[in-house]
Amino acid sequence: MDLNTTSNNNVNGAAAGKTVNVNDLTSFPPNSSWLITYPTSGDINVDSQSPDTFQKFGLIRLPTQLGGSNKDASAFVAYSKVCVHLWCSPNYDPQKSSNPTYETYQCPCHGSIYQLPTKDSQGNLIDAGKAIEGPASLQAPPTNAIPMLTLTADSSGDLWIEIPQWDPDHNGVIGYGRNFASYQDYILPIAQGKAKAPGEP
Amino acid sequence: MSKPPEKGNVVSRLYQWIKDGLERTVYMGVQYTYPKRFVSPLGYLGVLTGITFLVLGITGGFLMFYYQPTLAGCGSLTCAFASIERINNTVPFGWLLRNIHYTASNAMVLLAVLHMYYQYFSGRFKIKNEVLWVTGVILGIITGVEAFSGYDLLFNQRAGLAIEIGSSLANASPLVGGTLRLATFGAGFTDFVLRLYAVHVFILPMIMIILVFVHFPRYLVFDLPVISTVVGGLFLVAAIFPVAVGIGYSPSNPQLTIPEWYLTGIYALLRTEFDKFVMGGLMPALLFLMAIVVPFVDTSKKLNWKDRPFFTALGITTIAQILITTAWGFYINPDTNLPTLARLYVDPSLYFSSMLGVTVLSFAFTYAFLRYLKAKERVRRAVAPMSPLLTKKWVFIIFLMLVGAQLALNFFAWTAALTNLNAMTLFDVGAVLITFGVIMHLYRYSQSLPF
Repeated sequence: MDLNTTSNNNVNGAAAGKTVNVNDLTSFPPNSSWLITYPTSGDINVDSQSPDTFQKFGLIRLPTQLGGSNKDASAFVAYSKVCVHLWCSPNYDPQKSSNPTYETYQCPCHGSIYQLPTKDSQGNLIDAGKAIEGPASLQAPPTNAIPMLTLTADSSGDLWIEIPQWDPDHNGVIGYGRNFASYQDYILPIAQGKAKAPGEP
Repeated sequence: MSKPPEKGNVVSRLYQWIKDGLERTVYMGVQYTYPKRFVSPLGYLGVLTGITFLVLGITGGFLMFYYQPTLAGCGSLTCAFASIERINNTVPFGWLLRNIHYTASNAMVLLAVLHMYYQYFSGRFKIKNEVLWVTGVILGIITGVEAFSGYDLLFNQRAGLAIEIGSSLANASPLVGGTLRLATFGAGFTDFVLRLYAVHVFILPMIMIILVFVHFPRYLVFDLPVISTVVGGLFLVAAIFPVAVGIGYSPSNPQLTIPEWYLTGIYALLRTEFDKFVMGGLMPALLFLMAIVVPFVDTSKKLNWKDRPFFTALGITTIAQILITTAWGFYINPDTNLPTLARLYVDPSLYFSSMLGVTVLSFAFTYAFLRYLKAKERVRRAVAPMSPLLTKKWVFIIFLMLVGAQLALNFFAWTAALTNLNAMTLFDVGAVLITFGVIMHLYRYSQSLPF
């Protein structure tokens, strides 16, 4: 595991300047979200002033039905704030979590909706970040999925961000957009049925 | 140095001397005509667009004193947005300048579009004016980009999302996309705001000024009463419908917003969920391409719109389609319980069938209407010439009353400015300009009266 040991990758400043701890269900309750910055400057004031959405992520503690009350890193996801369609910033709407398909991560500009990780028959969480509605869902896989940060928790329960690899096989590419040409190697085999899209079982 | 003229008083001699000195400059290359009587207001649309550009230049120049094209360093708000709030709330006359600038920008887009349609339907582009027409279309596109880059500078919710959509659309262009986006928007928001600022206040206005010298015809109708009235009307609108600064943009919670009215058409196209480059790039480009090729296709000798049924119908179609697509852009389902997507989705089958339907209707309507006009033309009789409405005595009385009203309005505007009643000041100044226009026109009218 490629875990950065500098304080820069600690998920800090997400809520009231506190380090996010997976055991803390009062400060970080299920079905809520916070804005985090990655890569962070290390200074919460500088981070909060930067409107650069390419460095912003929505840290989401999943609804309880999806395991949001688990006291490990699987209770959290960190979705990019840049919609893969036209780069607007999607929002987490906790009220929509009662919806069976969890249409909580929505883009205000053209209405793309990104899926929270759902459970398959074996109980594994799958399909995280895939667009299920709106123009982003019509883009060719894998450019239809919102890039995510990989999260991990240490022994004391503090949440950390693993160094991301911005390619379709790992964390995705922020704002794929219509940059098809660069991802032909990924898109074509999936389109021809020779390979599976990232996240597909 | 030219010799000072010997006749007339000091002022007229100075005026003559300056006029002689300017003879070889570009300013005298244009023949300004001050019409002796009121002609069709549609013919003034081009000049009025130019005048609004001038108003925008002056107010924009003053706004530059206080606007900060930076983001970090102003607390929880971006500096760009904080400086706009400061201009709006604190800076003396900042509110007035911002509102005039905003209303004038909308007026310029509107006047440019109306100007184009007047030239199109009257067939004026045919009289060796192809180059003027093409530069006009280019100027129109630049006006749109200028307006877009201007409202992005506010960095409120609407601006933040518009910047993101704009840069993403640039990125979506085939082959040159990435390079184009990096060149025009840079990397990240800090670059965006600085580049948009440079583009808005210098690069595009410079290009416009250069193109305007190509676009000007040799003769320019400079009708002071009309110009004064329209600028006054602009101030009135700005006073009656002041524009709010909005909510500062923050990536934490972007809200659902609609772009400015001249861009909602593109917004509707993007919301049909088809490929974004085709919808946001090629479809609008199709309209502009059509506008550019029109003078090279419509080469008949006939000027009047009544004699060119096909191109009249085509023009009516574009107007109808722009209206429909703009209306779709404004439409958002008001039910907030629905998911965002359901509120925003524009059903392509409904949308494109309405566009096609309106095309058929426009052609049918135009041909039927022209046929009706032709039938009517046969039975048309000569209309008796109009007799003057007023005598010189009544003109003099109205003239005096208007001057009194003008003085009162000036006083009101002054007191309103002293007591910080911004909208009132703007309204009164607008009324002053309109009254001035009416006085000038009345004077011109009285000159031709027989008794």
